Amino acid sequence: MELDDLRRQWQQPDPAALPPVSPAHLEGLLLRNSGSLVEKMRRNTWSEALLTLLIVVGIPFYTWNTWGQALHTTMAGVMLLLSAILLVNYYRQLVLLRRMAQAEAQVRTHLGTLCAGLRQLLHFYYRLTMASGPLTLLLLLGFLVGKELARPGDFRWPLIAGLTAAFVGLGAVVQVGVGRLTRWYLQRLYGQHLDRLEASLRELDDAE
Amino acid sequence: MAVATPSADFVAVLHEYQPLLRRVARLYCQDADDRQDLFQEMVLQLWRAWPRYVPQPGAKLSTWLYRIALNVAISNLRQRTRRPAPVGLDAEALAVAQAPETGYDADDRAQLYRAIGRLSDVDKAFILLYLEDRPYEEMADILGITQNNVRVKMHRVQEKLRALLVPAA
Repeated sequence: MELDDLRRQWQQPDPAALPPVSPAHLEGLLLRNSGSLVEKMRRNTWSEALLTLLIVVGIPFYTWNTWGQALHTTMAGVMLLLSAILLVNYYRQLVLLRRMAQAEAQVRTHLGTLCAGLRQLLHFYYRLTMASGPLTLLLLLGFLVGKELARPGDFRWPLIAGLTAAFVGLGAVVQVGVGRLTRWYLQRLYGQHLDRLEASLRELDDAE
Repeated sequence: MAVATPSADFVAVLHEYQPLLRRVARLYCQDADDRQDLFQEMVLQLWRAWPRYVPQPGAKLSTWLYRIALNVAISNLRQRTRRPAPVGLDAEALAVAQAPETGYDADDRAQLYRAIGRLSDVDKAFILLYLEDRPYEEMADILGITQNNVRVKMHRVQEKLRALLVPAA
């Protein structure tokens, strides 16, 4: 059987197989959540953004209870700054994901948008994960130094130097592990999908 | 989650083009559940895109619909993560476009569907538009490549399909 033979039959479906479309039936279809990768990423980003907003809302309560203690106020300030940076990034991600979710472009254009957007998001996730380790250690070290400064008596240089060395050593080991784990995780979660989309895009580009 | 009531014009469009969406889903999904998922995903994306649809002079609504349907089908993740893509189509899929038998052996048709099932997602898009009898001009507009390249690519896909059919012949 040739493709042309199939074409002759193709557009003659069995009408009984098609359920009628009614507004109620359609509402039922539209009620479900989209299963697309982009929609899942959008939902995750919204959740993360809301969580960050909760932290931002919680910070004034924290500073209220520890008002006047320079160390805690500084920590709250740093947290607020980090949250603000994260929120800006979440906003940019949502704008990008919204653009990626618009499926009415030409297939080649849409695939290009998806590939570029997904790659951009994966870089962002990777960079964010890689930055969070050193940042956490830096905050912890800052906190310990602050406590040491606030303590009456001499500043214990050997202790702080030892802690710093331990943090740097531990941080380096953890960073390598986290880097490998993040790459593996992102590849498992999104990488294969990206590879497939890029292969599809290449196929269309080959035609050019 | 509350959903705005679909407008009458959207319901009418969906009613008219439902067979088209079903055909796309049948070509891309072998499993009945996956097919239903893909159909729903296409309807959902059409619904979301509908407010942005602006009729252009000389442009067909079907072109816009094919773009969305193919974009959703090609970038759809779900059926691939659920299980590896089977080689052939199941019994329901084989009933696609099943007009009364015209003398062709059902086995031949099954072989052809199996061969189509082994093509890449992009190749399937060319096959689909060919089966849908779309002119090269519209195919180019849907896919975003030139008409000349549609012609070249279409020829290659047909050759690929013939090659896939040879061992079974």
